[in-house]
Amino acid sequence: MMFSFVVKNLGFLKAVPMLPLVFDSLLRVRAFITKPKILDWMDELESEALTWPGMSMAIHKYGGLQFNSCGKEIAHLHSNGLLDLLCSKKSKMKLMLEGRIQEHHLFAKSGWISFYIRSKDDVNYAKGLLLAAYLKKHKGNLTG
Amino acid sequence: MMNKKIYEFEVMKGFILSNLFAFIVIGLSRLLKPDPGVFVYAEFVIVPLLMGIISAWCWKGMEINGKKLTGFSCLNGALAILLSAVFLGEGVICLVIVSPLIFAFIITGVFIGRAMFRKDNTNLNMSILSFLFMLFIVDSVSKHHYENLVSDVMVINAPAKEVWKHVVAFKKIEKKNEFWLFRIGMPSPVAATVDGYYEGAGRKCIFSNGYIFDEKIVAYKPEQNLTFDIVKQPKDPEIMGHIDILKGQFLLKDNGNGTTTLTGNSWYRLYVFPLWYYDAWAESITRNVHLRVMDHIKELSERR
Repeated sequence: MMFSFVVKNLGFLKAVPMLPLVFDSLLRVRAFITKPKILDWMDELESEALTWPGMSMAIHKYGGLQFNSCGKEIAHLHSNGLLDLLCSKKSKMKLMLEGRIQEHHLFAKSGWISFYIRSKDDVNYAKGLLLAAYLKKHKGNLTG
Repeated sequence: MMNKKIYEFEVMKGFILSNLFAFIVIGLSRLLKPDPGVFVYAEFVIVPLLMGIISAWCWKGMEINGKKLTGFSCLNGALAILLSAVFLGEGVICLVIVSPLIFAFIITGVFIGRAMFRKDNTNLNMSILSFLFMLFIVDSVSKHHYENLVSDVMVINAPAKEVWKHVVAFKKIEKKNEFWLFRIGMPSPVAATVDGYYEGAGRKCIFSNGYIFDEKIVAYKPEQNLTFDIVKQPKDPEIMGHIDILKGQFLLKDNGNGTTTLTGNSWYRLYVFPLWYYDAWAESITRNVHLRVMDHIKELSERR
């Protein structure tokens, strides 16, 4: 709710240096106080992803944790448990039919998708999404 | 697996080194600053950010997960706030106001630091730290002066003659406070008294904790304009040490239909920066002081 409101109405402020990072820190504090399990699930996803060859983490420019495969961004995770992932339009259509993901909260027409981690079951689904994005990128790197 | 005692020592090191750094740097900035009474952007933004980065440096290689890092950062923020209360003599309300900045920037610093030390690019890390240090120096030696006006307007269902009776001086405000900061202990206005009804007369605005603002009437036009300079105000460990109310004004406009438009103006000088944060608080507090007094004037005027 608060995240959507800020992104929709105050999104123009993301150009202010550091501000998106600070906003993400406040989301993190809120999660820590109100639903600390989200942080456990985020850590679980991060730990899993870091075991894949070529994966690394960085700070996302608009706040949150960025997942890089061979140095290129494939996804990022905001501190409210919102995972944004890059996939092909074909995969996006297929995933949309499954009904668990949403169009990206800002770029609905792009190949980006959004998925909220709200339960333990969601973490497993998020791992699957992230792995698919990783394999796609990794395959691209191997063949390209 | 790291030995428990070593782990605890490293965690403590993160708390101690970051707070020691903040203590030394804020002490140094007191010497650098042209006006030591002013708290600058660097102290509320750069210092907590660097505190976070220092903690992340102490905790690197310990494989602390994100949730624990968040918890440690919150604890570090609480420690920094506690030390501010002890060494800088800040009051509770002031600490409540400053805490979102401290927590947000310490946590941001910790996660930036974690990313920096994971990459372990010495050149990049040194560039980031040098840039932050340069920002700190530039901000510390810069002159900071900021004054602002807050204005509020209210229509009262009474003629200007009646409203004027309650503007110059007014009886005790009995109504319960609605503004949350007043409820948790920030002083709110309760009454105003005057020595006389003329230009140059003394006026006193009395606050809930007994504090008195001494004022001098500098413009006295019955049923139109009451302007007063603040000549003496209490120095309180709460926000009053960080803001000076310079002048107050009530303007009355007879609307010709038995109603009066009452405008309350206050001019203040702020001694805490960044403005995008503290001025929002100052405006909100000043506005709530206005509204408490103006609502009271409205109630007394419409009671006739």
